[in-house]
Amino acid sequence: MSSKIEYTKQPIPANWTKIGMILTVLGLALVGASFAMDSTRATFNSILGMMFIISIGLGALFTIGIEYLAGAVWSTPYRRVAEILASVVLIVPIFAIPGLIKMHDVFHWSHAEALQDAILKNKSAYLNTTFFIVRMVAVFIIWIVFYFIFTKNSEKQDITKDQKLTKRNIKFSALFMPLFAISLTIMAVDWMMSLEPHWFSTIYGVYYFAGTFLTGLSFITIIAISLNERGLLVKGLGEDHYYSLGAMMFAFVNFWAYIAFSQYLLIWYANLPEETYWFINRYEGSWAYVSYGLVFVHFVIPYIILLPQPAKKDPKRLKLAAFILIFAHIYDLYWLIMPTYTKQHGIEGMVFSFYEIAFPVLIIGVVMVWFGIMSKNKNLVPIGDPKLQQAIDFHL
Amino acid sequence: MDKDYSKELSVIEGKPSLATITHDISVPMETMPNKAFYIALSVTLTFLGIGAFCLILTFIYGIGLWGNNNPVGWAFDIVNFVFWIGIGHAGTLISAILFLFRQKWRTGIARFAEAMTIFAVMTAGLFPLIHVGRPWLDGYLLPHPNQHGLWVNFTSPLLWDVFAVSTYATVSLIFWYVGLIPDFATLRDRTTNNIKKLIYSVLSFGWRHSNRHWQHYEMVYLILAGFATPLVLSVHTIVSFDFAVSILPGWHTTIFPPYFVAGAVFSGFAMVQNALIFIRKVFKLEYIITLDTLEKMNKIMLLTGTIVGYAYGMEFFIAWYSGNPLELFTFVNRAFGDYAWAYWIMMTCNVFSPQLFWFKKLRRSIPFMFVVAIFVNVGMWFERFVIIVTSLSRDFLPSSWAYYKPTLIDGGILLGSFGLFFTLVLLFTKAMPVISIAEVKAVVDGSQPTHHGGHE
Repeated sequence: MSSKIEYTKQPIPANWTKIGMILTVLGLALVGASFAMDSTRATFNSILGMMFIISIGLGALFTIGIEYLAGAVWSTPYRRVAEILASVVLIVPIFAIPGLIKMHDVFHWSHAEALQDAILKNKSAYLNTTFFIVRMVAVFIIWIVFYFIFTKNSEKQDITKDQKLTKRNIKFSALFMPLFAISLTIMAVDWMMSLEPHWFSTIYGVYYFAGTFLTGLSFITIIAISLNERGLLVKGLGEDHYYSLGAMMFAFVNFWAYIAFSQYLLIWYANLPEETYWFINRYEGSWAYVSYGLVFVHFVIPYIILLPQPAKKDPKRLKLAAFILIFAHIYDLYWLIMPTYTKQHGIEGMVFSFYEIAFPVLIIGVVMVWFGIMSKNKNLVPIGDPKLQQAIDFHL
Repeated sequence: MDKDYSKELSVIEGKPSLATITHDISVPMETMPNKAFYIALSVTLTFLGIGAFCLILTFIYGIGLWGNNNPVGWAFDIVNFVFWIGIGHAGTLISAILFLFRQKWRTGIARFAEAMTIFAVMTAGLFPLIHVGRPWLDGYLLPHPNQHGLWVNFTSPLLWDVFAVSTYATVSLIFWYVGLIPDFATLRDRTTNNIKKLIYSVLSFGWRHSNRHWQHYEMVYLILAGFATPLVLSVHTIVSFDFAVSILPGWHTTIFPPYFVAGAVFSGFAMVQNALIFIRKVFKLEYIITLDTLEKMNKIMLLTGTIVGYAYGMEFFIAWYSGNPLELFTFVNRAFGDYAWAYWIMMTCNVFSPQLFWFKKLRRSIPFMFVVAIFVNVGMWFERFVIIVTSLSRDFLPSSWAYYKPTLIDGGILLGSFGLFFTLVLLFTKAMPVISIAEVKAVVDGSQPTHHGGHE
């Protein structure tokens, strides 16, 4: 017969926090050094960092919402991991600070003389500093509010086991989805697309969404599998429960490729100079290799790893794929953001040095430490969730 | 009544015996059609006849009988093509994608939706063939060496359409047929008529319901679902390329591929839902095609309708944001120009009407959902009309601007396409099981003992 839910609360491995601390310190040193040496380049990288950490937190928040909304059962044992990870949205605003302070160094449209440019003048109703900040604040508030709603209800359920809380979260998930779509699009357009303020693409928000969800999912996969291997999650989780994580990642690897290809093909084919220059910037000099590499890192390699069915059940290969996908997202953000920097500063080809490593290192460190802090005094599994038993009994 | 989230809800209502299920699904094929069926069939055949008549006139006198003009060279023909291709998408989404997502509620509706896919693709396939004006030259659409040295333009998405649609039609047909094999075997075993027995025997490929057969069957079904999934997305993606690779304002925008796919699923679900409301009533299959299932379909319509709304919004925003005056003009012209009436029909039907599905009461009211789904289909037809006609009628040269007005012949062909589609649907309901007998049995309560224990 079905196994009972067996869960005893244990803290997460202590060395996670330690490694996180080391990475944070290292990251801070690198970030400090990069701001001291070339603050403009460091600011561009801070945007890369912010978009990366948004992907982690928002990706996890979206995963919670979509699970409730779709009534998914398989993901219930991992939901608390997603909830703790989603708390990252609370620290996202910190990473917006460099970009806001040094706004004029990165956002060409924020200059006073940009208004002499007819096209930018036309856009100034949207692209102006005040509205930019208002939008950003509104977006952060939405994320944080929904983070608290989802997690408070879910944590309360650990004790009360009240099914009404599930229902309440389902309703809030439905409300969250349209707000999520709009807020994510705003951040993608504002912080990345407007770096090259003349350029535009209607699919841009969807493109960033594909990376966001993959990143959130990859973090959840790595954390959940690692915790489960140490027996810190509920008893009875195994390869059948891993499978869906792998299948989901595989699906969204394809989704990303589909969106990226659509955007590229349509712009390449129509060959309108006001659109193609964005891709041309990414094809000049050594940037071309970065562009080719993106196809492999973000699509071909994870696709091959995740395609066979056994791979989706094998914790090692799943974690490998997840690590590659996290790297791929950083790579993708680098490819989206940094060509603007080299172009603006008349540098030929790509640049890569400790500046570009600083923020990813810092963020991974901070997220590890933060995960440790936020997971304290919390069950690592939503033990009061009505779907949990069913999820543990789940077999392919 | 509050839902109990700790239990998997049964997809089938009540606890029908397996024999009841077999009986209820097979009955339509074992009895003579009733009067209502003949009335319905005569209506659809009349529509089909009108369409055929208009087509014959077109072939004799040429496409001058249509409303197409210069600059509106694409009109009803392409609108109908895109519309019907879109209708087909729901079937594959239900049968393949929801299968991969392990959504059991799909079981009751998958067969019928897939059949509609095939009929919709057949209907859609007619339009490019007649659109060329000289259908006897259609063979050149397929690249083959010939004495004229004529080759297709491999860089044209119109040609990719030929490949995409034909591949899609083939795979859908195979997928559908594979699902039908066990059911044909069931029908073969039930029938007492020798001719029928022969036909079903041939169609069922000697299926014996053996364990080994089932093992192979499930493997093939999974693989075909995996194949069909990227195919269905590719079809409407390529249809969207027909427009988006051009440089015409209103056509060239990068969000087209996912937006077209979402729109296709949206209209397809509406059409399937409309038809199922009749099917479940007439064949008394309400316990298999339950209200819960219909409600889930409505939720998908709400989702895809909202995605479409997002795309409209994004297009409009970028038209302004890009600073491209032609682009902005096109969109303002859509909303306030000559075709504003079409635009607002589209907006009302596609974006606003499905928003009513936020309310559970409305989502579960059959008359209400029926009307909304009709609205959705009207809206989606107008969406293609708006995209194609408004952009073309205001092209780059103001001296060539013109207003497109469809003729009676255009209307007749559109009516004929509905006639063809529903004639095929009606014949299908009497010739083949509208629900997969075998699959439904697998989702009845208690049919899968290993899933809830005994696995330790």
